[in-house]
Amino acid sequence: MLDFELRRPTSLEDALAMLDTDDPSVRPWSGGTALMLMMKSGVFEPSVLVDLTGVEEEHASIRRLEDGGTSIGALATLASLQFDPHLASEAPVLGQALPRLANVRVRNVARVGGCLAHGDPHMDLPPILACLRGLVVARKADGERRIAVEQLFAGYYETVLDPGEIITAVELPTQTGWDSVYRKTTVRTHHDWPTVGVAISLRREAGLIVESRVIVSAATEKLTRLEAVENLLAGQPSNAALFTRAGRTAAELVETIDDAQGSASYKRVLVGVEVRRALSQILEEGSGS
Amino acid sequence: MRQHISFNLNGRPVSMDVGAHEDAVDVLRRRNLFGARESCGQGLCGCCTIKVDGVPVSGCLTLGLKLDGAEVETVEGLEREGVLDIVQQAFIDAGAFQCGFCTPGFVMMASDLLARVEAPTDEQIKDHLAGNLCRCAAYPEIIAAVRAAAEKRSAHAQV
Ligand SMILES: Cc1cc2nc3c(=O)[nH]c(=O)nc-3n(C[C@H](O)[C@H](O)[C@H](O)COP(=O)(O)OP(=O)(O)OC[C@H]3O[C@@H](n4cnc5c(N)ncnc54)[C@H](O)[C@@H]3O)c2cc1C
Ligand code: FES
Ligand code: FES
Repeated sequence: MLDFELRRPTSLEDALAMLDTDDPSVRPWSGGTALMLMMKSGVFEPSVLVDLTGVEEEHASIRRLEDGGTSIGALATLASLQFDPHLASEAPVLGQALPRLANVRVRNVARVGGCLAHGDPHMDLPPILACLRGLVVARKADGERRIAVEQLFAGYYETVLDPGEIITAVELPTQTGWDSVYRKTTVRTHHDWPTVGVAISLRREAGLIVESRVIVSAATEKLTRLEAVENLLAGQPSNAALFTRAGRTAAELVETIDDAQGSASYKRVLVGVEVRRALSQILEEGSGS
Repeated sequence: MRQHISFNLNGRPVSMDVGAHEDAVDVLRRRNLFGARESCGQGLCGCCTIKVDGVPVSGCLTLGLKLDGAEVETVEGLEREGVLDIVQQAFIDAGAFQCGFCTPGFVMMASDLLARVEAPTDEQIKDHLAGNLCRCAAYPEIIAAVRAAAEKRSAHAQV
């Protein structure tokens, strides 16, 4: 860790102005858990860090939107997501997954925005927010745009965010009628980084699957939506035979990568198993109509 | 960048010059506090646990500069007038360590749990301490110590 300047703006406007440059050594700082590791290992040498944690409190809040959806401020800590009472009823999959993400201390400081902007495919939250049909709200000095979580990632540790663009929130549409499950496979400890993460949401009506989201991450170069599996599920009655077919299709289509968590061929098998298990789990646990 | 920062350390105001390259463990060592130790340096082991503004964090992942204006608590701040805190005493009574390197971190995390949950289950204890590693593997004694501290604390509260 060399020398740099830490700037601590108290408004988002000021933060955006400080980040309005093409210099990649000027970066936003939220929880700093990922940045500290990159700085300590020499992968990233900042000149200026813009600490977002001092901006208006609303950017850390989790609130219900008028249309029944939920807005999660980019500066909300992972711990606040884990214990938020509204999310506990609206999207219980978050509270179920978070206790296995890193540890208490990391969750106390890491923020939703940092988690998404880091672009690391080995993360648990992005696939869940994608299956919940989340939209990333991103702001630059000259305006705001919304990007579907599943379209945020351009490649390995790469996002579509422009230099100086800040994530300010994630918006979730209402989850009424949908049931979601996240399955995380780890190869070392229970709380380890995922080897495979599979997040699935289903909307069912009269016993038939009407719509779904099937998202795979960690096993892949970047978060991936498997639309072919969604098409296979559409209009079908949920049963074990269908889920086996869905798992097999997912395993055939998914492009897995080798890394310290396992070989590509091992992960391909796991993706198939976890897609099938996730679907069965929704059938067993889901409240769906 | 070096900056003059001020913060409350175990209830007392301090101010000092801090360099951009220093993490919170470096800063505390310069205050002669050696309870928070850097071991993995990556947020994994919990040996460097301190509380910043009331929540436990990894000192090794905390920028020294970010302590400016904060309320910082370390294991050294737990005892009162030379008397160990209930959790510290419980670790001694249960023999919940061998070399003791990991102990301050476990004690800080355990006190945080007991401040939130009066009578934690073994499952809750394990979940809360999952990010702390003990190379001597004193885990069974550590869990027993936390359970004993919880019981002692609720007995005290009822008196
Ligand atoms: C010990 C340990 C274990 C972990 N285990 C897991 C695990 O099991 N599962 C898992 O999913 N993750 C795990 N993680 C990763 C953790 O989830 C991330 O480090 C964390 O979410 C990053 O968030 P942050 O706020 O700390 O980001 P920061 O480090 O502050 O920032 C990360 C990146 O995002 C940029 N950035 C930050 N905020 C914004 C913003 N609002 N807009 C635009 N860009 C922004 C920064 O410039 C930087 O490039 C682990 C981390 C540690 C240290
Ligand atoms: S030294 Fe900080 S968590 Fe291991
Ligand atoms: S007592 Fe030696 S590391 Fe825990």
